[in-house]
Amino acid sequence: MSVVTKKPGDEVTNLESGRRTDEWSQCLRAIAKHRDRAAFARFFKQFAPLIKAFALSGSTMSANHADELVQEVMLKVWQKADGFNPDKASASTWVYTIARNCRTDLYRRLQKFDTPLSADDVSLDQDGEEPAVMLHQRRTRDRVRAMMDTLPADQAHILAKVYMEGKSHSEVASELDLPLGTVKSRVRLAIQKLQIQMED
Amino acid sequence: MAKFHPDLHMLTELTAGTLSLAQSACVSMHLTYCGRCQEISEAQTAVAANLFEDLEPVTVSDSQLDIVMSRLDEEAPLTYPKERQNDTSSTPAVLQRLMHGDFSDLTWKKITSSLRISYLSTGDPYYEFALYHIKAGGVIPEHGHRGSEMTLVLEGGFSDSQGTYHAGDFLFRESGDVHSPAALADEDCICLAVLDAPLKFTRLRHRWMNPFLQLKAS
Repeated sequence: MSVVTKKPGDEVTNLESGRRTDEWSQCLRAIAKHRDRAAFARFFKQFAPLIKAFALSGSTMSANHADELVQEVMLKVWQKADGFNPDKASASTWVYTIARNCRTDLYRRLQKFDTPLSADDVSLDQDGEEPAVMLHQRRTRDRVRAMMDTLPADQAHILAKVYMEGKSHSEVASELDLPLGTVKSRVRLAIQKLQIQMED
Repeated sequence: MAKFHPDLHMLTELTAGTLSLAQSACVSMHLTYCGRCQEISEAQTAVAANLFEDLEPVTVSDSQLDIVMSRLDEEAPLTYPKERQNDTSSTPAVLQRLMHGDFSDLTWKKITSSLRISYLSTGDPYYEFALYHIKAGGVIPEHGHRGSEMTLVLEGGFSDSQGTYHAGDFLFRESGDVHSPAALADEDCICLAVLDAPLKFTRLRHRWMNPFLQLKAS
């Protein structure tokens, strides 16, 4: 058994209702229900540094654009807090998906794409409202979290590059000077190890 | 339930937000038909969210907080409600947006007696995004691909030497693959095709259309 250390994003789940009652979910509810600016400031101090780290993680974004992204994501947090459902996602997962979509849109703006579509339009909506579906999703998340610490270094490294740095597999391959096939097989092995089913 | 799916790497890039715009529109539409791929994508989002939580925080100056606080009263941008996909026979919301309506509102270009094509604009300069309408029982003459091609069946179905595909099924062909798809006998088939057509796009398109034009002439 590994020692469980509590991280800021950890939540306490009430097994009866499955509702997440961690500090940051409550914070989001206060923002949504009471337009609570103090709660928003606390939320900002917790998540803005992670959003900035995310923006800078691929070393492809300037500091100015990273600040722009932080502002944009945090404004969306304020505007969309009402849509946060603690039964469906943890606060950090919710913030991550906003940050990811804003970053993708920012890249496309910088490339001067003229498009009617935003990253929100083509990303998965966590649509499952049914309790059984939400329970299943929660179990998946818990399992993934528990398994992530068991990944060998090269697999953990490749996942960090693929998911955090905003680079396609080909871009990661050329940056690491590895064949594309090697990058793909490392990603595949890591995903299999996390027991995310994928039988082709 | 879809039987043919995008591979793991397309789902990974979709989830990570690094797939090209046109391709991500196509793969995300497959997800509206496919619980299996949705589940994989959700699990991948969990992976990414964990990595996000574990990032080494980078200091954000207090002035940034002040700027955001001062902007909180700005009006939120308009958002489109996303139609829920309760019915697999309905057209995915993303596609409805790109079509500004329904299949009948589009301009269809007749290629052969059984094939019509309508090009849609996604704003992605690297990929051609087009709808193919094949009449029931119609055959597309054998052709090869110089680039890659994603196909998503939207209505009806078609078959080629490797299988039979129905609404929601997703195919990916690499360059060099040659096939001759035929729509199923009893229903017209509409599918989406996303081709990578960099600067060679026009030449590619002309070469590709050549056999059809000759066929029509014959």
